[in-house]
This record gives sequence, structure tokens and C-alpha cells, in this order.
Amino acid sequence: MSLTALGAAIAAFTGIGAGIGISIATAKATDAVARQPEADGKIMKLLLLGCALAEATAIYGFVIAIMIILFS
Amino acid sequence: MKELLTELLMEDKTLIHVPFGDGFFDIYHSVVVTWIFMAVVIALILFLTHDLKVHNISKRQAALESAVLFLRGAVSGMLGEEAAGYTDYIVTVLIFIGLSNMVGLFGFTPPTMDLNVTIALSVMSIVLVEAAGLVKKGPKKWLKGFAEPMPVVAPMNVLELVIRPLSLCMRLFGNILGATVIMELLKHVVPVILPAALSLYFDLFDGAIQAYVFCFLTSLYIKEAVE
Repeated sequence: MSLTALGAAIAAFTGIGAGIGISIATAKATDAVARQPEADGKIMKLLLLGCALAEATAIYGFVIAIMIILFS
Repeated sequence: MKELLTELLMEDKTLIHVPFGDGFFDIYHSVVVTWIFMAVVIALILFLTHDLKVHNISKRQAALESAVLFLRGAVSGMLGEEAAGYTDYIVTVLIFIGLSNMVGLFGFTPPTMDLNVTIALSVMSIVLVEAAGLVKKGPKKWLKGFAEPMPVVAPMNVLELVIRPLSLCMRLFGNILGATVIMELLKHVVPVILPAALSLYFDLFDGAIQAYVFCFLTSLYIKEAVE
């Protein structure tokens, strides 16, 4: 059981990548809105798309962690 | 932890057994929940759309019109002008996913937590995307589109046919499952007050965002396919 838990914990490390990715995207989006407040609709759309794609990696990690716990 | 996951994922999802031939025709829990909220939505639509007028509109009709215009405007903005004909399908999917994510508020299990539902939705999306490209460009140009921008990347483009729906369905399923797992764990630790506050985030906000993202990605693919 302990190794299983360790495996699931390692799979959960994918969260680091997603966190960094989303934070960089948000920082740049804030920058862009500060520069051009009139373009915030377009920026918001792109930010949501980027966040969804970056967040997918964390979700994959989560799904794999669940698989490790359930099927080991 | 393992018990909780087993309970959420591995339990028998069948609600109704219908005798069919030699065995059973099973109707899943998610399908029955979908039926219930379909009935609610249809009743709501019938209530909202009866006796519509051109002049002297009622408050009900004004609210309905602004809601429909808002949804259509948001979606056709994502689709662009060339693919505007697909707006109504995307709006329907948006309403379906949004409501089925929020159905957890009323104590049901969200239908989108069933992998079968999300797989069906994403397969529908990818079929629509490819069909849109096929109708717009014609078979020859559509097949040529796989070899763009270079013939070398053709395997990648074919692989995308699988990866796109896979990531669409896994994203939706994983998000809703993750939210439900966190809420269940939280209910074990703090049974009062805190779950209500977090339910606002996980059920309403996250559900709406995921529905928006699903529709946004689908309409982006359609827009790309008809260009």
C-alpha cells in the first residue's frame, strides 16, 4: 500500500506544472489588460483557453493517480 | 480513501433493469438524472415560450429574449461568421453541460461524472467538427487538409482526431470527478458550513467554467475546420 500511495503522490506532482503555467498566463494577461484595457474581451477568451489547456495536464495527473489507487 | 473512490467510481451505476432478450437492458443512473432535468428544462421552455407577442411584450418574454440573445451572441462570437450556422447546437450543449454540472446542488450525482456521458459529448463534437470541414471544403480538399502545412505532419493531424475528443472528455470528467471527490472528503472532515461555501465554487463556478471551456474548444475547432 505504501508504494501505491507514493506512486499516486508522484502523479499528483503534475499540479506543479499546471500551477506555474496558469500563473504565468494570468500574469501576462494582467499585463496585457493594463496596457490595453479596451482589448480585455479578447484577452479574457485567450486566457480561458490557455488556462483550460494548461489545467488539462493536472487533470491527467489526477486521473492517473486515481487509476493507480484503484487498480493496483 | 480507497473506499470512497471505489464507492464513487466502481459502484454499480445501473438504476433500472429492463428485461431484454436473454439478459437485461440496463439504464444508468446518469441517464435517469438526465431525464429528470430534461423534463424540468422542457417544462421551463414551455412555460417561457407560450403566447409570445410582437408588441407589448411581457416581462417574461423580455427576460427570455435577452437570455437567448446573450447566449447566441456569446457563442457566435466564438464561432465566427463562417460557421455561424452551428450556433444553436453549441448553445444546446452549453446549456446541457452547465445544468448537468450544477445538478449536484440538488443532491443528484452530476451526469457528467459518468465517463460514458462525456465520451458521447466529445465524440459528437469531433464528428460535428469533421463534418463541418467536409461540408464546407468538399471531400478532396478535406483530405488534403490533413497534409497541411507539410505532408510530414500528416500523422500528427490524423492523431489529432483521437487526441482532441480524448482531451475534451477527460477534462470535463476529471474536473467534475475531482470536485466531487474533494467535496466528499470535506464532508467527512467538516460536516457543516464549509461545504456550503465550497459548493458555491465547485458546483456553480467550476461547472459553468467547464461548460464554457468545452463549448469554446468545440467552436474553436469548428472555426478552424471551416476556414
